[in-house]
Amino acid sequence: MSAHIANGRFVVLVTIFIGMMFQIMPLPKIVEAWRPDWLLMVMIYWAMALPHRYSILTAWILGVLLDVLLGATLGIRSLAFSIVIYVIVMQSQRLRNFTRWQQSILVAIFICLYHFIIYWVEFVVNGVAFDWAMFLPAISSIFMWWWVFWVLRNIRRSYKVR
Amino acid sequence: MKPIFVRGISQQFRLTLAIFLSVVLLIANDRLDPIRQSISSVLSPLQYLANVPGLLLDWSADSIATRNMLAQQNKELLRQQLMMSERLQRFEHLRQENVRLRALLGSPVHMDARKVVAEVMEVASDPFRHYVVLNHGARTGVFVGQSVVDAQGVVGQVVEVSELTSRVLLVTDPTHGIPVRITRNDVRAMAQGTGDIDEIELRHVAKSTDIVVGDLLVTSGLGQRFPEGYPVARVMKISRDAGQSYSVISAQPLAALDRIRYVLLIWPDDNLDDLPSSIHSEISTIDNPSVEPETQDEGSQ
Repeated sequence: MSAHIANGRFVVLVTIFIGMMFQIMPLPKIVEAWRPDWLLMVMIYWAMALPHRYSILTAWILGVLLDVLLGATLGIRSLAFSIVIYVIVMQSQRLRNFTRWQQSILVAIFICLYHFIIYWVEFVVNGVAFDWAMFLPAISSIFMWWWVFWVLRNIRRSYKVR
Repeated sequence: MKPIFVRGISQQFRLTLAIFLSVVLLIANDRLDPIRQSISSVLSPLQYLANVPGLLLDWSADSIATRNMLAQQNKELLRQQLMMSERLQRFEHLRQENVRLRALLGSPVHMDARKVVAEVMEVASDPFRHYVVLNHGARTGVFVGQSVVDAQGVVGQVVEVSELTSRVLLVTDPTHGIPVRITRNDVRAMAQGTGDIDEIELRHVAKSTDIVVGDLLVTSGLGQRFPEGYPVARVMKISRDAGQSYSVISAQPLAALDRIRYVLLIWPDDNLDDLPSSIHSEISTIDNPSVEPETQDEGSQ
């Protein structure tokens, strides 16, 4: 049984790793602003499907790693990740039963929340200016969520991650 | 199977803990540089891996280039090289004259610095930040505060170094300031990033200051960070609003910040002695082929 769990954990780590890679992959300047929040979507999926295993503290660690990768002030994304994943974990039962369209719109709202928290903390810490462009990833994430959800659910089912 | 502590207060407790830890990180941020550096060293393979698709794209673009394109490019490069070498000859003459004049004046000679070509691996995906990640790190001798330029002008400075990568803050980042001088009349100013990739701003310039559109701004070397004389930006707009106490001057960076691919890391001369000896040879091998004529060791007379 424990070997089984370890196996599942490995699969989840691989998906997180790939999500992180997509998150920092260099893109042309025009597409850059539209980059979906891959890592957050992967984390949202796992928090929704397996809230008893991957929840706030996992999200917090991922947030710290992302802060390091992006060179931002440490703690900004860990805070945003924790809060968003908290909402997901609390509503995971309900979220799972929504249709895909409802889900993806909710995910977009969560991503807006995520960017707003980042903006807010950045504003307090570094005094940045408000820019509507920070919500563009939410729009692209609406469409990407379908794909992320489909891929991750297939992975979860075929590797029997529970 | 499910642990009992999933329900009830536990998630709230975890959230509180996570928020508490995040706030601790935010407050202690300045003292966490060693931790950040080691995490970033551990994660640097990920950055190299994320860079692979772009490299593949570049590689395929290179390999499907037709013979015609290559020949044309070659011709263009040859022409450029001819122009450059002609300018270099004049430059060499001027340099010697300059050294002699400085010797007469008794002021120290400014020597050419060593340089390493670095490749941009990652560009900020954060709308609030302007930085790039380079494929050289502490192992090459990169240090925090090092200046980075490209073929046209100053790109920025290194703010974070890990074992194999380093992070460069661009001159357009809102937290970046660079001391500049106008070439026409030596007026000094501070150029501050605005957050727009093609604009920097001169702050606190008196309205009577002699600045016109088109003036070239070069580094003044006053902040002890950037070596003197590298071009930074060109003045684009001057607004002298009667309601403001200073004139607002915006300038366009000369370096192509929105599409940089290769940049030069510059080592100031006095720092060269601190480098491990293996680096010396590497620098000269990378540097030798074409980038700059080696003009080291002209000595301080």
